Amino acid sequence: MNRLLQNWNRYWFTPATAEYLALVRIVTYGLLLAIYLPLDDRGWAQVSRVFWMPISVFHFLPGPPRDAALIGTLQVLWKASLFTSAIGLFSRFGRATAAALGFFLLGLPNCFGKIHHLDGFPVLLLGILALSRCSDALSPGRDLRGSREIPVSAQYRWPVRLSQTLFLLVFFAAGYAKLRNGGLAWMTAANMRSIWLGELFTHSPPTGLGGFLAPSAWLCQFAAVATVTLELSALPALFAGRLRALTLAGLLGLQILIALMLGVYFTPHLVGYALFLPWQRHYTRLCGPRR
Amino acid sequence: MALLPMRFANLAIIACLAVTGFDIVTGLEHWPFGSYPMYSTLYSDRLSWLRLYGVTERGEISLRGESDFAPFDEARLIMALERLQGARGGDRKLAEALRNLMRLYNRRKSGRSPAATPLRALRLYAVRWDLRPGLQGSEPPRERVLIAQVTDDAAEAGR
Repeated sequence: MNRLLQNWNRYWFTPATAEYLALVRIVTYGLLLAIYLPLDDRGWAQVSRVFWMPISVFHFLPGPPRDAALIGTLQVLWKASLFTSAIGLFSRFGRATAAALGFFLLGLPNCFGKIHHLDGFPVLLLGILALSRCSDALSPGRDLRGSREIPVSAQYRWPVRLSQTLFLLVFFAAGYAKLRNGGLAWMTAANMRSIWLGELFTHSPPTGLGGFLAPSAWLCQFAAVATVTLELSALPALFAGRLRALTLAGLLGLQILIALMLGVYFTPHLVGYALFLPWQRHYTRLCGPRR
Repeated sequence: MALLPMRFANLAIIACLAVTGFDIVTGLEHWPFGSYPMYSTLYSDRLSWLRLYGVTERGEISLRGESDFAPFDEARLIMALERLQGARGGDRKLAEALRNLMRLYNRRKSGRSPAATPLRALRLYAVRWDLRPGLQGSEPPRERVLIAQVTDDAAEAGR
């Protein structure tokens, strides 16, 4: 039991510097702002109530929002809060606003018939950062790289660790769902070929790569097995550093291929990959070691 | 790390892992958590889909979610229409949905080009393709069955 507790604490609570978490804050909010800058939910105000199929806490709303101007204002506030959170201004309030409005604005389209699994992780990430102390460094009013000691604590580690864990579990969940719903038959060439060809009609892929590769039975077979293997490897990758790097590279490649072949863009997941990059090393290289 | 923040962090971690694990095991969705079931079912070599066609002076034109019925994208729109079709009072709900889509389309097109011709009618078909290597995605469906239709009078009446 003691050993389990030790491992738990080592995994989640190995001390890190406040700067480490602050860099993750800057990268995360900055990337999310860049990714969601074109987001515009005002059109949903014109969609009939008959399409309203609420999910999650949206069940508590009396119906779909009808005021496009209000949605527009909330969008401006949300994007402003992403910006102020990135630079560490009005930090606690800004991060809470970013999390709450992110939940509403990214969740709203999912209440009209189908959940797209692109925005769930960014919403969780916004929630975790809102609860964290990610503005203890690299914020206005805080000593940037001055002589004052930058604090070191476990509270600067767990929010990143939790975000990384949830990100990898997204892929494990996808792999597990394939085996649960499709069984081993999911990993056949015929199934993969049907997915590639079907998407030519149901989506608008930017390339004809799916149609081009579909005639090759061994390629379809390889892609089906590799997809499930890669997704399932996300669970052990949580605990093994080398496997993690390989798995993440593979998953990024897989998502790029999905975009090219199926026309499904997992752009918001870029923020998940960014969590694993050594930002502190880059920052130290850029700004020099602490005085 | 002080005791209280440590307890709070443990609570947050355990809560997130519990909901995530529950959704993965059960296949349920508690957004923003989820079981990520996209593309997880078995796909047949016969593709069945719903497709919207607009009726203009020149005849029928195939319409797509992203470009014609924003803010819907194709996948969300078709899934929503399938759910309406299967719901209680499906015919009435589908008709109301099509009236709304026709208004969205006409408003969008007239906003872009005032000279654009509005749709006279909007039709929902069940379409089928046989999937075989060599397809480009532009081939017409092998089979089309009309599911529902609304005319511009009905769309006007639904304003």
